[in-house]
Amino acid sequence: MNGMVSSLYTFFVETLPYITIAVFAIGMILRVQRWLSASKDHHNPEMDFLESIKYIILDVMLFRKTYKRDKVTWLLVFAFHGSIGGILFGHMRGFHLWSASIFDPFGHWMAEFMIHTLPVYMGWLLIVTTFLLLVRRFRLEDKQLSSLTNDYIALILLLIAAIVGQGMRLFPPETVPTEIYDVVFIPRYIVLHLEVVPSYHWFHWHVLMTQLFVIYTPFSKFIHVLTGIITPAIYGSRRKELDI
Amino acid sequence: MAQGGKNLTSNIQEKAKETLGKITRRQLIELDTCSHCALCTEKCPAYNESKNVLHAPGVRTSQMVKLYDKKYGFWTRLFGEKEITQKEIDELAESTFHCSLCGRCMESCPFGFQTHELWVMARELVDSLEATPENVTRLADLMDENMNPYGLEPDTRLDWSFFTDLDDAPELDEAEVAYFVGCTTAYKGANHEVAFAICSILENQGENWTLLGEDEWCCGAPSIMAGKEEEAKQYAEHNVELLESKKVKRVITGCAGCYRMLKFEYPSMIGRKPDFEVLHAVQYLHEQLTTGKLEVKKGNEKIIYHDPCELGRLGGIIREPREALQHITTELLEFDEHGYDSKCCGGGGLLQAVDNEMRLNIVKEKLDEAVAKGAEMLVSACPACKLAFVDGVREFKHEIEVYDIHELIAKRLGVLD
Repeated sequence: MNGMVSSLYTFFVETLPYITIAVFAIGMILRVQRWLSASKDHHNPEMDFLESIKYIILDVMLFRKTYKRDKVTWLLVFAFHGSIGGILFGHMRGFHLWSASIFDPFGHWMAEFMIHTLPVYMGWLLIVTTFLLLVRRFRLEDKQLSSLTNDYIALILLLIAAIVGQGMRLFPPETVPTEIYDVVFIPRYIVLHLEVVPSYHWFHWHVLMTQLFVIYTPFSKFIHVLTGIITPAIYGSRRKELDI
Repeated sequence: MAQGGKNLTSNIQEKAKETLGKITRRQLIELDTCSHCALCTEKCPAYNESKNVLHAPGVRTSQMVKLYDKKYGFWTRLFGEKEITQKEIDELAESTFHCSLCGRCMESCPFGFQTHELWVMARELVDSLEATPENVTRLADLMDENMNPYGLEPDTRLDWSFFTDLDDAPELDEAEVAYFVGCTTAYKGANHEVAFAICSILENQGENWTLLGEDEWCCGAPSIMAGKEEEAKQYAEHNVELLESKKVKRVITGCAGCYRMLKFEYPSMIGRKPDFEVLHAVQYLHEQLTTGKLEVKKGNEKIIYHDPCELGRLGGIIREPREALQHITTELLEFDEHGYDSKCCGGGGLLQAVDNEMRLNIVKEKLDEAVAKGAEMLVSACPACKLAFVDGVREFKHEIEVYDIHELIAKRLGVLD
């Protein structure tokens, strides 16, 4: 392998994670500082915990309002977000936040399906739905919506990350040095442990793209992953206050 | 030279910056969260009528966040402010005032943005950029001169009583209940009987009640809709002072817009909760009917109820008018989209002043649906809605009667022909 590519790959898995964490943290600080520097609200309702949870689950996680409006669009956005959720959950195993043994009570077949088969389908689902959302955005542009540049960058970045991630799973693995099996973001605390040898090139580009995704989050529409909890909570509390 | 062909004065840029600085934390989080998904667009009455992308609610958030970033964005803090262009201002004005402020986009938004407040802020921004449509500016000027948006002298505020059987309109120094008539009821002929109906019901129920007469000022909603929230505060302060001086315990209004202002906006505008309870007349009616204090004969007319946006979706009063109407008829019909999901009639947000053709086309959709459902009467609980429906029926020659719910009750009581 070309020495330059090899050093690049080393950079992706050994140095970039520190940069990723640092940029993400600085970005979040800047974002929060942006919000805090705005005027204080005078109209906010008293927060109601149960109503907040109810609206976060119904409106954000289940897309209830979209379901009521248009079933096809609902299926698209639900499958898109569901596949992201599933894939993120799967990655958490690599960070040792859960273990494959949780499926043991359901039998070997179920554990095999959940750990090895379902993620591949989730990957395809994410690629297809991200692509369809891009097509939808493109078709509605200047007709029903006016996107900011970062609306497109966010989706394209996600699509590329998903494609290279899927390639990593599908293409046959090459022989790789053992040291890359752990990707250290913060030593001892945030470490990705790989138990299966992935396709070498696809793996490294996937590591790069997912880190770009994380870096871009505080500066982009990806922020709605975090703020999408705040706004429906206020909405739910307001409705409670109005007794609707 | 700013992009867009016209150089804007630094004064306007400064005013815009000042107004953008009023965007609150929650509003900024909402603007940053908006994914421009267009899920709100299909349910926007204005967009559905025009199919103009500038009228789509999500486009407005894009415009607002772009302007905000020009004055307060991250790169702005590093490299300095950018100028807001004339094109951007024109597009924001076009977008912002082609909106009935019905809040329906809020009911489509998965994140539940408080869009009504966001769009009011957008109007304030347009006002600071001196781009408010001429008719709206004129209306705001009329408010300044006469304390009502119709440009009529304050001493004609009670003239509606001359056209009804209310011989002696009470104007007491002190009373238990005050009836806040509202400008659209007081000054628009189509609504005079609504005022009379509410007065008759209060009289019939033996309430110790009063009108405010020419001392009543507009509730201030048109000022807010014109982007002049500061001016609206004067109306709030005056009306609260007047009502409290009369030691009223309850303020009843038949106008959905006045109700929302008195109940929800006044406390934050004057910085405290006024010393009186605010009720929409339909709540009073519901209370009287359900406690048996008021009895009316039930008929079998096919009545369809339209939820005024400011009363239902933005005010939370959805159950009461329906239960009140069930005392009047056995045949209560519903629009397909009703309650908090009710489709706007087009009568709000000063849309009539900006684009009356759009307003009429929006109301036509509601009338078409009401007729298709076989309704004989279209009933609402807001003078602006009634006005829109009356104009629509006249324009499109629909065979349907339009009433305010209080008129129907007064008819059943035999106090209104």
